[in-house]
Amino acid sequence: MEKLILGLCPYCGMGCRFYIKTLNGEPVEIEIYEGGVNEGKLCPKGLTALDFLRHNDRLTKPLKRTENGFEEISWEQAIKEIAEKILEIRDKYGPDALGFFSSARCSNEENYLLQKIARLLGTNNVDHCARLCHASTVAGLAQTVGAAAQSGSYDDIPKAKVLLIWGYNPAETHPVLMRYILRAKDNGAKIIVVDPRKTKTAWFADIHLPLRLGTDIALANAMMHVIIKERLYDKKFVFSRTKGFEKLIKVVEEYTPEYAEKITGIPAHLIREAAVTFATAGRGIIMWAMGLTQHITGTGNVKALADLGLICGYVGKEGTGLFPMRGQNNVQGACDMGALPNVLPGYQKVTDGKRVAEIWGVEELPSEPGLTIPEIINKAHEGEIKALYIMGENPVVSDPNTKHVIEALKELELLVVQDIFLTETAKYAHYILPAAAYAEKEGSFTASERRVQWNFKAIEPPEEAKPDWEILRMLGKALGLKFDYESVEDVTREIALVAPQYRGITPERLKRDVEGIQWPCPSEDHPGTKRLHVESFATPDGKANIIPVEFKPPAELPDEEYPFMLTTFRVVGQYHTATMSGRSKALTKRWGEAYAEINPKDAQKLGIESGEKIRIVTRRGSYECKAKITKRIGEGVIGVPWHWGANVLTNDVLDPEAKIPEFKVSACRVEKVM
Amino acid sequence: MKLFINLGRCIACKACEVACEKEHGISFISVYEFEDMAVPLNCRHCEKAPCIEVCPTNAIKRDGDGAVIINEEKCIGCYMCSAVCPYAIPIVDPIKELAVKCNLCADRRKEGNLPLCASVCPTDALVFGEINEIMEEKRKRKAERIVEAQRKAIEKIALFG
Repeated sequence: MEKLILGLCPYCGMGCRFYIKTLNGEPVEIEIYEGGVNEGKLCPKGLTALDFLRHNDRLTKPLKRTENGFEEISWEQAIKEIAEKILEIRDKYGPDALGFFSSARCSNEENYLLQKIARLLGTNNVDHCARLCHASTVAGLAQTVGAAAQSGSYDDIPKAKVLLIWGYNPAETHPVLMRYILRAKDNGAKIIVVDPRKTKTAWFADIHLPLRLGTDIALANAMMHVIIKERLYDKKFVFSRTKGFEKLIKVVEEYTPEYAEKITGIPAHLIREAAVTFATAGRGIIMWAMGLTQHITGTGNVKALADLGLICGYVGKEGTGLFPMRGQNNVQGACDMGALPNVLPGYQKVTDGKRVAEIWGVEELPSEPGLTIPEIINKAHEGEIKALYIMGENPVVSDPNTKHVIEALKELELLVVQDIFLTETAKYAHYILPAAAYAEKEGSFTASERRVQWNFKAIEPPEEAKPDWEILRMLGKALGLKFDYESVEDVTREIALVAPQYRGITPERLKRDVEGIQWPCPSEDHPGTKRLHVESFATPDGKANIIPVEFKPPAELPDEEYPFMLTTFRVVGQYHTATMSGRSKALTKRWGEAYAEINPKDAQKLGIESGEKIRIVTRRGSYECKAKITKRIGEGVIGVPWHWGANVLTNDVLDPEAKIPEFKVSACRVEKVM
Repeated sequence: MKLFINLGRCIACKACEVACEKEHGISFISVYEFEDMAVPLNCRHCEKAPCIEVCPTNAIKRDGDGAVIINEEKCIGCYMCSAVCPYAIPIVDPIKELAVKCNLCADRRKEGNLPLCASVCPTDALVFGEINEIMEEKRKRKAERIVEAQRKAIEKIALFG
């Protein structure tokens, strides 16, 4: 029997819908759903989103590491042993010897349950890979505008008159969003792209600013310098809705375009042109992603962009906004659910957990903020974290300084990995639990524009694999917690009670309104919120804080031994650690091979021909791949897609505020492989 | 009806290639990427199609929507169509060893659907429709831009004299 089930794309944070066609319960093909935020459009990853579901490599049975390698074990036994070990470690070393990595690839319900388990066990050591992508956004926006989310909707993009796209390459990472961007261009919007590489997004730019790696603040400050000097800022908005402008004037005073030119390498006249174009457009949106956030000054970078948007009055109005673009299908939701060490669901601070404790029926919750992912890895290395529970993450490939991560995992007394494939991380686990993939379970997911959508189940999981929420329910019960949820919908309803932004978002509504609801949604009859900050900001006094920041150079700069700068990026046909996309033939035949971009002049100096094998070496490791000689990248810079393990090279130095590693800048040298 | 290439809108995401491969087993559309732009290329379904003219067995015909179709029953695999094609389109089907190319998703069109490449293309770099209608739409946008520029110029004169 043929069936069409409405699907939700498991890849990026765009939130695209499609149909999954099944025949006798087996997935057959993706069909077009003429609606949703994607308007029926799909990128190559969405088109191949069924390819990995029935792959032979799927994990189908719980596994336990023994002297003879991994052996199959029953669910009952696995959960019992894991729960006993967790409790034993907690009782012996205290709750803060436990760590939990939640997942931006799992549903809201699953993230909610995992953080609840962590907190009921007495620790806030729960985090997820937003730490590695938008942690600096969360910190930067919380301090400036009070809400760590995309302020407007995709629909605002075509209404803007200028788009400032900073460290963000949607042509590769959110292809369907390019539809909205090109529509803005059709409507006469100017496009300014800030990126050290001439990305595919930069093809469409009116102004491309290829800045030196890690000099973002100098550029943003110089743009604000011009806007203030030429009195192009929105005086009414600045005086009625923000505070801190006077301090900003003082800080950006010295950042003349000529001074910034020396730091950024961008000609002063181009900085002026970009600043004037941006400020005089009338309606503007700033979009950013990892090129901005993954720096030791990540939080400062975000504040600088927020300041820039605020002084131009580009927040809270049609065709304006601050748009941190979300990379994973539920990275917004995982943050909303409190899979973060300092906040409970709905961004309620752990230091003030009384309300949540009451709903959960417990006396108190741990009130000290917990550890972040890089800190948990470091503490595992030092032997202070003894047990780590990882749901749907692959830190061995996704985290910086791979060697250090592996050493840390080897130190653990207990490592549990819950995933759909035997990832590079799972290889180090004591227990591996087979999870259901997106099409094999139900639950809600929150896309980049705060849009919560229901994910319908289309097919059964393979063999004994189970939805993550069911696994967590079993684990919760085995840990002695009151986890008597009968269905995933029970969890969705509890989220509505706990997270104020989700108050009116019920499973019934989500299943009826399949195109979703944008939070905040304060009651069941509320239609959801397209735009944040319309009348006031989510700060205590309702005013946005303009917080000036000073430029600081990246942690590692080129020297004699490591004369090049290294940065990382992604390609459209692979996704992150390639656990899923790497198992699609249609994708791997087009995007199957690691490479590094190198400027023709540098290649000539090093005697490297296109397609030759090279070795890139940093202080942390070395990595071999083919050379791709291209003018897309500037002289002195090497660019590497990170899907194939390039994080052996990257720097694990952290932004002190958000604890995000500086993936985007390292010093390296390049050798020809003979 | 034509599959029109909106030059300058392709982001080289290759959704068309992947979609075509899913639909037909082989991709009949190829995206060529350069340092500053990309172009998707498939059968142009020419009005005066040299392939139709040259085919010795009359295996190539035009259907009701204007699509140029190779009838595999009649094809003898001489590849004269490939030889004369101005865009080097017809290729060898690896299984049947006969000439194959894009048929604008004949099966999908029968059910009232668009060719899959045009259906999925995220940026409308590929659109399926009447050329005159597509051009009219594009022309209107150009006119809007001209008016916008003119209005700005008038505003400036009003402000600064």
